[in-house]
Amino acid sequence: MAARARENRAGIYRLLRVISIPLFFGAWELVSRSGVVNEFLFPPPSVIAQALFDWGMHGQLVLDIAMSVSRVVVGYIIGATAGVAVGIATARYPALSSLLTPVFQILRPIPPIALVPIVILWLGLNEPGKYFLILWAVFFTVWISAHLGVQRVDPLLIRAAQALGTPEHRMLRELLLPGALPYIFVGLRTSLSVAFYTLVAAELAGAFAGVAYRIDIAHENLRIGLMMAGLVVLGVISACLDLAFEGWARHAMKWR
Amino acid sequence: MGAACDEVALMSGPLDIALCTTQGQDVPGPIVPDAAPAPARGSIAIDNLSVIFGQPDKEFLAVDRVSFGIKPGEFVCIVGPSGCGKSTILNAVAGFEAPTEGMVTLDGAAITKPGADRGMVFQQPGLFPWKSVRANVAHGPRMAGRSDREAYRLADQYLEMVGLARFASNYPKTLSGGMQQRVAIARALVNRPSVLLMDEPFGALDAQTRAMMQETLLRIWADIRATVIFVTHDIDEAIFLGDRILVMSASPGRIILDIPVTLGRPRSADISLDQAFLSIKKSCLDIIRHESLLAFERQT
Repeated sequence: MAARARENRAGIYRLLRVISIPLFFGAWELVSRSGVVNEFLFPPPSVIAQALFDWGMHGQLVLDIAMSVSRVVVGYIIGATAGVAVGIATARYPALSSLLTPVFQILRPIPPIALVPIVILWLGLNEPGKYFLILWAVFFTVWISAHLGVQRVDPLLIRAAQALGTPEHRMLRELLLPGALPYIFVGLRTSLSVAFYTLVAAELAGAFAGVAYRIDIAHENLRIGLMMAGLVVLGVISACLDLAFEGWARHAMKWR
Repeated sequence: MGAACDEVALMSGPLDIALCTTQGQDVPGPIVPDAAPAPARGSIAIDNLSVIFGQPDKEFLAVDRVSFGIKPGEFVCIVGPSGCGKSTILNAVAGFEAPTEGMVTLDGAAITKPGADRGMVFQQPGLFPWKSVRANVAHGPRMAGRSDREAYRLADQYLEMVGLARFASNYPKTLSGGMQQRVAIARALVNRPSVLLMDEPFGALDAQTRAMMQETLLRIWADIRATVIFVTHDIDEAIFLGDRILVMSASPGRIILDIPVTLGRPRSADISLDQAFLSIKKSCLDIIRHESLLAFERQT
């Protein structure tokens, strides 16, 4: 009996999960069209879908997405690679850590968004400026997670590896990197969302294409449906990347 | 060994039954075919070893002028109260701890750093959690420059020896504490070390598993015949396993008794009722009590 009840409940939960998103949009459509709110300022999903469709038809959607994603990907990959490399180095060489950590600790708390004006002065409104802002945002988070991760590798495992004759130059690949991986993944994942915040700030400050840029343009033209379509696109891209990341992390750390 | 073994076998399933049946009367040939008999290497000399921890203003004398030698293939147990420096001696032989004074040599060469010629088994298994059981055991041979194929072949062979061949592709977290410790032993032995250093390796296991592991260790050692230094605080364990027992005083650590274990081999669990076993145990307990009394008087 109990098993039957549990099965029924599991079925209900599954159903709720399936109707969750349609229900949300349905309620939104109703509220928006009911006249309780201003339909112009709070357009229903059908209007947003129309705006999204038009955006796609005029060919800018693909370009905007491509520009935004390429900015995130380039800035993220450079920032994350540098963060992991420097983090491992500062964890392994105390002299380097003593030299760099104080400076990094001053630079790290500066919100990347605050750097937008000065970066525009230095690098203009081109792509390198946007890469720079995103890599700056990603670097420090990844650096500190890699640094802590390597430092917190179980000393017992290090001794075990030494007693098994692991040469010093193979310690990194055999022991420190896999041992630090759980920490590094946390840093990489956190900085992925930080990269998106920074992307939005960078595109709002000035760009010639991009999803957040399109939101800004739609704002100036009071095309509220398009603005909200932009938000939807940002949300979907970000969620897809996060999902892909989670799948990769689960595969890479299936030993946990 | 009958009763004790059956009990453990019931508790931990078919795998351990298999382990038990490989022992007994009809002892099979060496399980590791290419294991060398009675090696000439593995002779350890500890000469006037002192180890001091801490800064010059706040020193702690962990080991105080200890000297002893170990013959190749000898199984030596070091017992003593916790904090007496027995692990420190082991770490000096392993190369983790540099002597403040004195010398530790293996086959005439001074020990300066850890190396695969001295296998180490810790109280915690210390397996690499991201590597499969097989990859853990294959680690040493790979580091020694063998091909992956050769390393994995050796790993399977040594996993067979500890009765865990079926679990080769598991990750360590899926294994019980006793099984993990068997993997750790296989991982140390696959390097064919001349010395096996064991730091309370069964201290974290429950009583049944520990008894099981002791018999397994003796069976393996009968094949590989490496020199063993086994640190424990359990006198019964030391007598059951060792050729010789070194008893240490409370800190600063000195050796206060060096007693041979005059019991034949192979040994089974009921040897603990043997008269010789009890008299060795009595000698150890007497001197430990004497030492504790002295320490107690010094405090008051």
